[in-house]
Order: sequence, then structure tokens, then C-alpha cells
Amino acid sequence: MNLPTKALVSVLFLGLSTVAQAQLTWEKTELNLEPPPGADSAVANFKYENKTDKTINIKAVRTSCGCTTAALQKNDVAPGEKGEIVATLKTGDRTGMQVKTVTVETDDPKEPQTILTLKANIAQFLELQPAFVFWTANEDPKPKTIVAKAGKGVTIKSLEVTSSTPDFTTKVEPGATAGEFKILVQPKETAHQSTANLVIKPDKAAGENKVFNASARVMPSSS
Amino acid sequence: MSSLLRQTALLVGLALLPAVGQALYFRSQISWDARVSESEMVSVDQARGWGADAIWIDARPEADFERDHVPGAILLNEDRWNELLSPFLQEHWKPEKKIVVYCSAESCNLAGDVARRLREEARLPNEIRVLKGGWEEWLKTRK
Repeated sequence: MNLPTKALVSVLFLGLSTVAQAQLTWEKTELNLEPPPGADSAVANFKYENKTDKTINIKAVRTSCGCTTAALQKNDVAPGEKGEIVATLKTGDRTGMQVKTVTVETDDPKEPQTILTLKANIAQFLELQPAFVFWTANEDPKPKTIVAKAGKGVTIKSLEVTSSTPDFTTKVEPGATAGEFKILVQPKETAHQSTANLVIKPDKAAGENKVFNASARVMPSSS
Repeated sequence: MSSLLRQTALLVGLALLPAVGQALYFRSQISWDARVSESEMVSVDQARGWGADAIWIDARPEADFERDHVPGAILLNEDRWNELLSPFLQEHWKPEKKIVVYCSAESCNLAGDVARRLREEARLPNEIRVLKGGWEEWLKTRK
């Protein structure tokens, strides 16, 4: 091995050894969660261990979003001690893949920050396609359809839909498959602007008091 | 053959060095979860230029919105999507207007999620853009 090759190999080993000296050892820095439909939170447990002979101080834990909290058991981690950071994502009305991070700062000068990633795939309880129907002024007041589909793992046998105003009528028909419904929405007329909130209630067996909203609107003639 | 291997090792080594450096020293500055493409974004200057032709949507948590927000912006976030979407559609939405959605910073993905849901769930026909740099960028250029 000539001199430049030796130098290169030395630099590479130096780089790799620097990475390997991370003090807190994490079981996993990325966790994938599949909370059940309707769950109000998704919880990730990031487990660590101090495999060094020195106490490590966790100086700060920050989350990427106000919707996520991170709970730390203690700041000082003694040699050989194990622990975890519990990250909780409040699902709210979120759907689909949610990627949130937790940044952990320690007193390790070589790796002061570790980023933990929580990925939660939040299934929709009831999918509305679309959640909004509208008519332009003087458009033919034909009914428009909202397809309501129960999410994966959710059983919905019937839907009740009510309009907040008598300007719109609604009718529910069964859809193409079980758990699917067609909501036909029709304005009385389209000469004047009007709006309605459509309150959609699945049957009680589907879940406790779950209520969803869709909107209908006849646009004003000026727009 | 050994010369070829040496050259390969040299190239790999040269490529690895800046990568190791970046991973060590700039880890917190990398946007790991950016999911909005450049074409779906709009700069603060351009969005301001749209004036009354744009509707601004604040996708941050309600407490942040209450503290301060872009003048005229409407609160619409995923914490209370079901509750907030209908009033927005019934009272503020206009088909001919552009929609600008923002959250707190470049790295947040709340605005991208709200923009996606307005397109896919509400199926709005509007041009919907995410504000580049978010609220932080807007604050820097506030007049």
C-alpha cells in the first residue's frame, strides 16, 4: 500500500470511528406506527441505553410540531442505564402518513444531536369524496354526489345526513361496495347564493358519536 | 487492476468525506421530511404580489394563530379539520382566487398536508400553493 492510499484509508477509518463513538445507543431512531381508525393519539417509545462508562446528560428534547409531545424519564443517564423517550402524536383530524421528529440534545460533544423520527399512518374513519360540492349561479340545480367510504377496519352499516338549511336536500343511497354510500345533494334553486353544512352521522355501531361535515354552496352571481 | 481499485477507493473516499461531515455537523439543518415540491410553493414576495387575489390559510396550531398571523389569514389546521373546513368553504372560499397555505417554517409539513387535503378531499379547483419558508419567512419581510 503506497502512501496516498494509506492516508486515504486512515481518513476513512477516522471518519467511521467518529460516527461509532455516539454515546447514547438507540434501539431504533425511526418508528412506524399504525394507530387504529379513530384513535386520538399515536405513541412511539424510543428506547436507549448508555453503553459508555460516563454519565450522559440529555440537555433538551424538542419536537418538530406542536401536535407532538416528548416525555423524558430523566436527564442524567448513568453508565449501563436504559430508558426511553415517549413521543405522542395527537392525531386530531389528521389522515395519511404523518412524519414527525424529536430532536434529542446531549452533552456529548461528538454527537450533540440525535433525530428520532415517528411515522404514523393514520387511517381515515370515513372518507368523503369530495367533502364539498358547489354550483355556480344559475347552474342547472342537478344533484351532485359525495361518496362516503368507511376506512380500513371500520364497519358502517348506515349513514344519516342532514342539511343545516332547507335550501338543500340530501338523500343517501348504498354505494358500490359494503361500507360505501352515495350522498346526493341538491339545491332548491341556484338563482340566489346559499350555503349549507351537511352533518354526516354513521350508525352508532361504527363508533361513539362520530360526526363528519361536508359543505354545499351555491355561489353568488358576482363571482 | 490494483490501480483501478485504488482509483475507485479514492473516488469513494472523496465522496464519503463531505457526506460524513454533513451528517455530523449539519444534521439538524437537513429537512428530513420535506414533501412539497418546488412547483407547489410560492415565495413571500410573489404571494404578496397577488394582493386581494389570494386567500391566506394559516395551518399552524390555534395558539400560534391567536398570537399573530398574516393579516386576513384564516385558521384551517388538521387539529380541527372537520370543524374548520366547512366555515372556510361556506364563508371565505372563492373559485377564482389563489390559495396560499403556510405553517411555521420551511421544515414544517403542516401546510403541505392542508394544501393536499384541499386539493384531494375538498377538490378545490383553485391554484393552491405552500408559502416557502412559512411564517418565519413572512415575519422577516413584514413591512
